[in-house]
Amino acid sequence: MADPKEFSNKFRRRLADANRNVRAIKPQQVRAALTGRNAAFALGAAIVVILIWIFNAGRHEDPATAVLRETGVAPPSAIVEDMKEQQKPVAVPIEDAVPDQLEARQPHQAALAKKPFHNPDYQESVEVDVSAKSVAITAAFSGQRIVVFGAVHKSLQASAEQGLYDVVVILEGMKTPLITRRKSNVAGLWINTKSVEFANVPSYYMISSTRPIEEISTPRVFDAHQIGFRHVHIEPEPGQATKMSEAQLNTFRQAIVRLKAKEGLYQKKQTGVVFIGRSLFRTSIDLPANVPIGTVVARTYLFRDAELIAENTVKVQLERQGVEALLYSFAFDYPALYGLFAVFMAVCAGLAASALFNRGSH
Amino acid sequence: MTLYLPIAEMPVNVLVFLGMGAAVGFLSGMFGVGGGFLMTPLLIFSGIPPAVAIGTEAAQIVASSVSGAIAQYQRRNVDIKMGLVLLLGGIVGSVCGVQIVKELRQLGQFELFVSLAYVIFLGIIGALMLIESLNTMRKARAGHAPSARRPGQHSWIHGLPFKMRFHRSKLYISAIPPLLLGGFVGFLGAIMGVGGGFIIVPAMIYLLRVPTNVVVGTSLFQILFVTAVTTILHAIQNYTVDIVLALILMIGSVIGAQFGAVAGEKLKGEQLRFLLAGLVLLVCLRVAWNLVVMPSELYSITSVVGGH
Repeated sequence: MADPKEFSNKFRRRLADANRNVRAIKPQQVRAALTGRNAAFALGAAIVVILIWIFNAGRHEDPATAVLRETGVAPPSAIVEDMKEQQKPVAVPIEDAVPDQLEARQPHQAALAKKPFHNPDYQESVEVDVSAKSVAITAAFSGQRIVVFGAVHKSLQASAEQGLYDVVVILEGMKTPLITRRKSNVAGLWINTKSVEFANVPSYYMISSTRPIEEISTPRVFDAHQIGFRHVHIEPEPGQATKMSEAQLNTFRQAIVRLKAKEGLYQKKQTGVVFIGRSLFRTSIDLPANVPIGTVVARTYLFRDAELIAENTVKVQLERQGVEALLYSFAFDYPALYGLFAVFMAVCAGLAASALFNRGSH
Repeated sequence: MTLYLPIAEMPVNVLVFLGMGAAVGFLSGMFGVGGGFLMTPLLIFSGIPPAVAIGTEAAQIVASSVSGAIAQYQRRNVDIKMGLVLLLGGIVGSVCGVQIVKELRQLGQFELFVSLAYVIFLGIIGALMLIESLNTMRKARAGHAPSARRPGQHSWIHGLPFKMRFHRSKLYISAIPPLLLGGFVGFLGAIMGVGGGFIIVPAMIYLLRVPTNVVVGTSLFQILFVTAVTTILHAIQNYTVDIVLALILMIGSVIGAQFGAVAGEKLKGEQLRFLLAGLVLLVCLRVAWNLVVMPSELYSITSVVGGH
């Protein structure tokens, strides 16, 4: 066993060595390295970098898109295309269109409060779990892969290839109010003019399925259970004095989905769910680094012959941890102290810098 | 190397922001300016929410002005009385500015307001500096010595009431102009995320006629305390000061500033001002460009302010 004293002595010696080496560098030497041509070169480089930055920043496509493609996630443009089709009215048989629209929304509200849905006509049920029930958001958080896996209870499927069942897995973040603004040209300037506040926008929405959901079931079912970007209920905040037509509202809804998809927060994996054997299935989902913090609900739907058989939900907690959590609660719970601390830190940094660089020059 | 910013709530590449701090620090060290007018637009262009950029930048200006302020104080170049009057106005202006930031964020017009403020102030200051430096260069080439400013001229400012004696500045003037000037600069600092040196220094020289040796120290004194107050106010009212981001920028800029100061010694005053004017105008054009050219995405989404 290493003696702790020996260790600390060794550490102290290392520190002293490092200190001596740093002290050996004289400020004049640093300055001497910067004479004439070197300084001019550094100046030129800095200006070029700044210019490129000023005129390029914020215009390129986000680099996350390329990464998404590799992991089997449809690019944001696919989701945007998806949303464009929404403008066409969905063909619903006339006789049950009206009651269904009403019915579709109310039972869903109830369904959220009740147990997961199960179709009594079928014997199968579905059991689901996730690889991580809680995800720590630390300062080093750069996204995390979550595996959602489950089993079809009393499966009638002979093999994985038979494709009797379809599974849709949705990972959905908390629903929060969101303001969407639209710019228009006022006297030559592009200014936010119209805005709509939507009440319940999923902060994160990832849909993974055995095949494209349009092939799995009907819009009516999707609408009732908010499956797919075209069927998530994004409604304006009630009591808002908007005189907007449904078509206009739709363009705002599309904008939300488009922007969220660009941020990588709305994603779809059309063949992301894979059956392994008769009853076991799994899908892996990559939580992006910018995933909004809060509870994420994983909803799993089991379909057979376009009919919804069973549903199950699991929760994943995203929590700030470590320094991250500390700073966040500091900033929001004690804002005055946090501000003072920020100033204190700034003063220390400024003094430390001048002490470091001006040592010996006076 | 990415780090998750706690307040901006986004992962960023540390090296990119260190580099940004160093590049701006280099320029600010070279020109002897705070660099807030450069850093804030850069932060906004790189995706930091405008309100967070401004709150964080205030903290960074504290760091970059503290050592200068102390050095000036030790050299007895700070007119404390004048500084306090400016500071009083500055605090009032800062309180108003932070409140306006809060209101405008709720209205969704904050970005527009910041952009317009930048275009207007950078445009004016940049153009004035450009003209002035060109004139000086031309005169220097023609062989004339740059004309020294004539002291002792009386203007309308001297007719105002509440006169005070400012010993170190050797002035006996009304307290109203410095109070208003401080208030204006404090207000701008709060909404634009700048120290305001580019306004307060010329205003003190040309409007208040404070001796040049006192101007730098006194303005640094005012900037240091006003940005400190602004930082605290932003933290309380808007929760938009990101300590982690501020620290990254500070480290980058203090290192860059050391190199910049060395490079600055190689250039003449009017050449520096000419370059700085060009830079100011470029930033101004870039901000204006965003306002005038049709954006590729007309829609934007923001979570409801205070929805935590």
